[in-house]
Amino acid sequence: MNMMLVKRQSWNIGIVLIATILGAWQISRLPVFGSYEARTFLLGILPIALLSMGQAIIIIGGGINLAIGAESVLINCLAARFMVGKSFIACVLLTLLFLLVSILVGALTGLIISKSKIADIIVTLATSFILIGLAMYIQPSPGGGMNLTLAQMISGKGSAFLPPLITLILPLVVIWLPLYRSRTGIAMFAIGSNKDSAFLSGVNVDFTRIKLYAVGGLFAGISGIALTAITLSGSPFASISNTATLNSVAGAVLGGVALSGGVGGLTGPALAALILYFIPTILLNYGIDPAYSQIITGALTILVVLAGGLIRNRGKKN
Amino acid sequence: MGKIKSLFSGRLTASMLSLWSILIVLFIITGLVDHYFFTIPSIGVTFQLAVPLGLLAAGQTICMLTGGIDLSIAMIATGAAFIVSIKSPSGLGMAIFYATLYCILIGAINGLAVGLLGMNPLIMTLGMNAVLIGVFTVGITTFLKGSSTMPDIIIKLSTASIIDPISWPLVLWILIGGFVLYLLKQTGLGRLIYAVGDNAKAARLAGIRVWKVQLTAYILCALLGGLAGLMIGGQSGAVAMSLADSLVLPSVAAVVIGGTSIMGGMGGYTGSIMGTLILTVLSYLLATLNSSEAVKQMIYGAIVLALAWTYSKLTEKS
Repeated sequence: MNMMLVKRQSWNIGIVLIATILGAWQISRLPVFGSYEARTFLLGILPIALLSMGQAIIIIGGGINLAIGAESVLINCLAARFMVGKSFIACVLLTLLFLLVSILVGALTGLIISKSKIADIIVTLATSFILIGLAMYIQPSPGGGMNLTLAQMISGKGSAFLPPLITLILPLVVIWLPLYRSRTGIAMFAIGSNKDSAFLSGVNVDFTRIKLYAVGGLFAGISGIALTAITLSGSPFASISNTATLNSVAGAVLGGVALSGGVGGLTGPALAALILYFIPTILLNYGIDPAYSQIITGALTILVVLAGGLIRNRGKKN
Repeated sequence: MGKIKSLFSGRLTASMLSLWSILIVLFIITGLVDHYFFTIPSIGVTFQLAVPLGLLAAGQTICMLTGGIDLSIAMIATGAAFIVSIKSPSGLGMAIFYATLYCILIGAINGLAVGLLGMNPLIMTLGMNAVLIGVFTVGITTFLKGSSTMPDIIIKLSTASIIDPISWPLVLWILIGGFVLYLLKQTGLGRLIYAVGDNAKAARLAGIRVWKVQLTAYILCALLGGLAGLMIGGQSGAVAMSLADSLVLPSVAAVVIGGTSIMGGMGGYTGSIMGTLILTVLSYLLATLNSSEAVKQMIYGAIVLALAWTYSKLTEKS
């Protein structure tokens, strides 16, 4: 029984091992490591971890969302534009409203994909343009803000590392676990593995897909709100959304989600964000020009997906 | 057999008919909004502006027919333009030679990763794009320092008109487009491209070296992308990092609107040419509207989505 558990969790255990080694390496280079540094780590991974989780849900369901970065940027800009100078209560209400917006944006994307029967890639490539355009329209230049009390509740302050940790884990517990255990969760894995068989077994493929895109959108929304709380501004740039999308795919795949669909969970992607954060940080610490960070992100994504695919294939042959 | 053939061409005409009607409607609307549009020089300019997109779409068509996609095409184009502008003081021949080498190299890496290592083409080329953005961002301040203006001959080839509305770029497009059409429809390689895209497994069992076909497709795509980059560079006179950024979505959209399946094996370059013309008239129409970049981007994304949707519905019925 115990062996079964180890086998099922082997991917996550591997991720934790790599992350621990990289983390120890990074920590060993710091003069001190306390709760302040822990918070810095958490803030570094928070937006990407949330986005990777959202992407993971969609990829497990057999899709891919190239607009997930744009969704997050849109919510980031919405929040920064309308929350600046507002009271705490108003900001909380706006947060709920914008999370609802992110769910609707995701659901709409899923609806378009289901109704039009156009490939996910094409639809989300087009919606990414629409969403970035919308973000640029709402917040034409970087700026805006958020109520400080709320921002500190989400991202903490000084050495308070618990708030960002809660922001990271709460969606996992409140959204993912119930979803995973529900009928929709089973349907998600079913349509990801084989859409036609799932349909013939009585799964409502279209509605499941819409729900998955909506949940993915919600994660992107939380990521956007978290980003606003961390940076206290909104940045309407396509480059940010592209990098974020790329990272979300890398995080999902590194976290054990197969791009072909039907395999994986959300704990892996959350942990994988640690690795995606540590590798560039460590490289930059060794005196590598920050301008290379884009090269590192791109190359890392390719290597991660490549390695993930190779390991998975080997597992299948065994 | 004859029945199947007539059925096939029947469907082809129906879809071509719908593309023609979309183009004509858009053409008339644009003409009504802007009366200058119906003049001979203006039509010449519109054709000229269509050429880079037409070349990118040609590359994308070849890739997508094999079941792939190339999202690194923007940085392939930009990179080729950069290399030519920087190397041109030491001779145009050498400059073109280096740019060709660059295209073949990037295309080969993409093709080998997809063909031999089984990488997901979407992730591979997205990652490659990020890497190239990084390389050139670092490069223009270090090893690629130098002139950013295009050589005169390329400016002439990409803008000069022969007799309105026929221009040098249009002649070039007709030559290269004709070659691509011939390649896909009349040659063995063309057949292999369709076969691999339709069913890679069956193609391999039939003795086709699938990876070689994919490698060739990605190299061809990169070369066409590089040529498009030179055209864009020539039309804008100087080279910048964001040179071809705005053409990535259109290059995919033109192919999809033109009826080539993103799953591969179905479609052709004729449709992509129509898609290119439709999108070019559309961006002309958007340029005449007095609105911000944000709004334009939203409308563009929405219309691309609507066109792809309409087209897929139209062909579904017939």
